[in-house]
Amino acid sequence: MHVYIYDDYLNKNKYNKAINRMEIRLTDLGLNGKIIRLSGIKNIKGTIQNEIKLGAKTIIAVGNNQTVNKIIGAIIDTDIYSDFQKKTLLGIIPLGDDNSIAASFGIKNEEEACNILLARRVEKIDLGLVGKHYFLNQARIQSLGTTINIDNYSLEIMERGEVKIINLLSDPKETIKSNPHDGLLDIVIDTRKKDRTFLTVPKLKISNPQEKLIIDGVLDIKTPVEVEIMRDKVNVIVGKNRLFE
Amino acid sequence: MFNKDNKLEKFKDAETVIGASVKVKGNFQGQGNIIVEGALEGSLKTNANLYVGDKAQVVANIEAKTAIINGELRGNIKAKGYLAIGETARIFGDVHYGEISVEKGAVINGQLLMATEEHRKNESKKEDKETEK
Repeated sequence: MHVYIYDDYLNKNKYNKAINRMEIRLTDLGLNGKIIRLSGIKNIKGTIQNEIKLGAKTIIAVGNNQTVNKIIGAIIDTDIYSDFQKKTLLGIIPLGDDNSIAASFGIKNEEEACNILLARRVEKIDLGLVGKHYFLNQARIQSLGTTINIDNYSLEIMERGEVKIINLLSDPKETIKSNPHDGLLDIVIDTRKKDRTFLTVPKLKISNPQEKLIIDGVLDIKTPVEVEIMRDKVNVIVGKNRLFE
Repeated sequence: MFNKDNKLEKFKDAETVIGASVKVKGNFQGQGNIIVEGALEGSLKTNANLYVGDKAQVVANIEAKTAIINGELRGNIKAKGYLAIGETARIFGDVHYGEISVEKGAVINGQLLMATEEHRKNESKKEDKETEK
């Protein structure tokens, strides 16, 4: 059974046409299923968990990065997670802005997403973990004043710029090869002086007394905080043009 | 390692790059090729190739399979294979190598110690055993 989770912002009129198009396409492909609209639901976690208990084979996030994160947040570290990992796939239909996660999986728009759901190409994907919060794409922070501790050494950054801790690439122009199922995080530091630092680690501790760490562009977290990778946590339906091998 | 003008060039594929704005402190150990353009204090070890850029400032003992040094190094360096020392290099420490090239203008304050053929064979056997494990 497919369960489509519509994020609450999709109530706006401007999304009506796109949703209609998507629903017609899903029906044509024989992929229709149960629709849950998050607007008006107070216990989002409970609702999503209940659908998995009822035997949902695919949970599809219809919305943006936050929608995907809401679903992952409702499942990971709960009693139903082992059921979810064994039996349930995660699909994504991007609608609106902030859809870097869908882009990483090679899903450009709602129409393409429907075809990708039908093709059912599945990849096991790692999740990044910052404190208690999971992320798919990346965490980022201002570079000046940031210190990163890794095992027996530390990195101090002495210029303005940005530190990115990447699990899953979201920028197709990015030249590094990041792999979201290698059990490693990629640290990329780009400064205004146009120099780049790059290394790959399984775990790190990051601190900056002035700045917060932003995960998947939506959540600010105070530092110091540990960042680590949790291997093969989610089975995701991905497109042929995904940004990883 | 050398371009048309016989200058030392960095390799293209590196698993780790330490940029000019970053300072590494501690014992840094890598599995693949490493490029250091910034500062490093402590120790540095890799089983692959190492490139130290001309602006880099390294205060560490270094071990690598092969190495190209163009910056400042205060500490000993041990390259099991080929070691290339560029014209801008300033090394204050002992230099152990399998093979070596030194460009005109390089500064070396320390002993130059070439590994014997037997020593190199032993090192190679050790590496093979570690790979088998």
